[in-house]
Amino acid sequence: MTSREDLRETLRVNLAAVLARARVRVVASWRETSWVVGETVFPFLTMAAFVLVYRGLHAPRIYEAFVVLGGAMTAYWNNVLWSMASQFFWEKEQGQLQLYLITPVSRMSILLGMALGGIAMTTTRALAILLGGYFLFHVPIPLERIPAALGLFFLTLAAVYALGMIMSSVFLLWGRSAWHTVTLFQEPVYLLSGFYFPVRYLGAFVGGLAALLPITLGLDGIRQIFYGKEAHGFVPLVWIPPIEIALFALFLFLAHRSLLLMETLGKREGRLTIRGG
Amino acid sequence: MKRFWEVTRAAAWLGWQVEANWADPVLFLAYSIAKPLATTLILFFMVQVVSHGNATRETFLFLFLGNTFFLYVSEVLVGLSWAIFRDREDFETLKYVYLAPMRMIPYLAGRALTKIATATLGAGVALLFGRFVLGLSISGAPDVLLRLVGVVVLGLSGIVFLGFALAGASLIMARHSMNLNEGLTGAFYLLCGAVFPIEVLPRWAQSVSLVLPFTYWLELIRRLLTGHTYAAPLVRLGDGALVGILALSTVVLGIAATAWFRWCEATARARGLIDWKTNY
Repeated sequence: MTSREDLRETLRVNLAAVLARARVRVVASWRETSWVVGETVFPFLTMAAFVLVYRGLHAPRIYEAFVVLGGAMTAYWNNVLWSMASQFFWEKEQGQLQLYLITPVSRMSILLGMALGGIAMTTTRALAILLGGYFLFHVPIPLERIPAALGLFFLTLAAVYALGMIMSSVFLLWGRSAWHTVTLFQEPVYLLSGFYFPVRYLGAFVGGLAALLPITLGLDGIRQIFYGKEAHGFVPLVWIPPIEIALFALFLFLAHRSLLLMETLGKREGRLTIRGG
Repeated sequence: MKRFWEVTRAAAWLGWQVEANWADPVLFLAYSIAKPLATTLILFFMVQVVSHGNATRETFLFLFLGNTFFLYVSEVLVGLSWAIFRDREDFETLKYVYLAPMRMIPYLAGRALTKIATATLGAGVALLFGRFVLGLSISGAPDVLLRLVGVVVLGLSGIVFLGFALAGASLIMARHSMNLNEGLTGAFYLLCGAVFPIEVLPRWAQSVSLVLPFTYWLELIRRLLTGHTYAAPLVRLGDGALVGILALSTVVLGIAATAWFRWCEATARARGLIDWKTNY
């Protein structure tokens, strides 16, 4: 085979791995009726609780929209934490990780497949929250600004899932404390990333730290696209897309290096096949 | 009964090992208090900043108490379902539990005890944070605390029964259906008025709320710790009546949950789902 054919074969195999890993998630999810209900009706109810809190507090209507958008983004963050970052830990526990390691594909392809499948799974939940908020609570969402918001949304997802890939490499070697670690990144991030109110209210220092997470900036930017100055933006909107692109590139690079490092370390220490360790 | 207690105690010890001993103590402590403190601060910012002065300190106290004690509901309900999934799929020990000469209910009761312990730690820290850092007027009188313990234990019985029901559902559901159980917890958060007065709900939802034992439980806790009544539909009911309703609904829930769990268990055995693997 020539080097060109080699490259074509490598690309073909890796693309097939991406699609296969993504397909498992999509098909398996839709096969479960309980999953469909769990992903649509109940997340909406949780978001509804916070909308009603705002109504109870007589907060301006726009905050209800903030909570709806935040609720939708929460779904993606949880997916990154539980089905991306910690996924290799679960796979190791089940003895499946070694199967990935012996395949002739890049680990990044497996993770990309996980990410795409995860995004497909999570979009159902996010849509249920958005549609429920729009049609049942009549939260103000300017429809004409959706294309611009979607653009930033996709950039944000790319950076967030690239961060998930880095976390995944770290979890590759993590023991049972992985569970607790993931939990530490859940509610505290809801608070710091301003899922329920503009992050600006947390102050420049805390907000600045939170802005290291691409989901914080993405949510801040999406709110600014929809509501302009009323969104109480933390970072000027024009800065956010380039920052997200830079974070995406940086995280992707770090994820690649980190995966290689952790895999080598894991092999050297014999921890890739240890279950419960 | 002696056997029930032995199994419960062993399962609680096992649950504790899974929860605490296998994690770094500092990480475990952080994990136990991160959620209650983070949610408390989220509500604090909501009230302080978002309401633009429309909310009073009393409003925050209402939110704070409901949110803090709801931690028991989320920990036990989600925790018991996860116990099934993890035993079945991660540790692959569920089939051995079924091979052992014991029933599942006492085993799950033990696992629930562990979750109650971690929730108590989180709720305790949140209450201290509320009292001493946020300066909330929460009663700390010994007689109030004694009655509070009684009410919490009664409410916890209902929560554990509901946990059995969700654990039963988990036996016949795939792992990613965990969202269903977590979502159901979210539905209870909405319907029992954990963070807003139930009179804000539409009429049909209020009817559902008044069927849930947690609604009465949270109202009782709030009354005990603040001396005020909160939920408008429950204003006419005295504390004794609330305790009576809570006790009665707990008994009904216990009977229904146990029957449901047994049906799920029989179905899981019949379909060969006891060692199912569904981590996609």
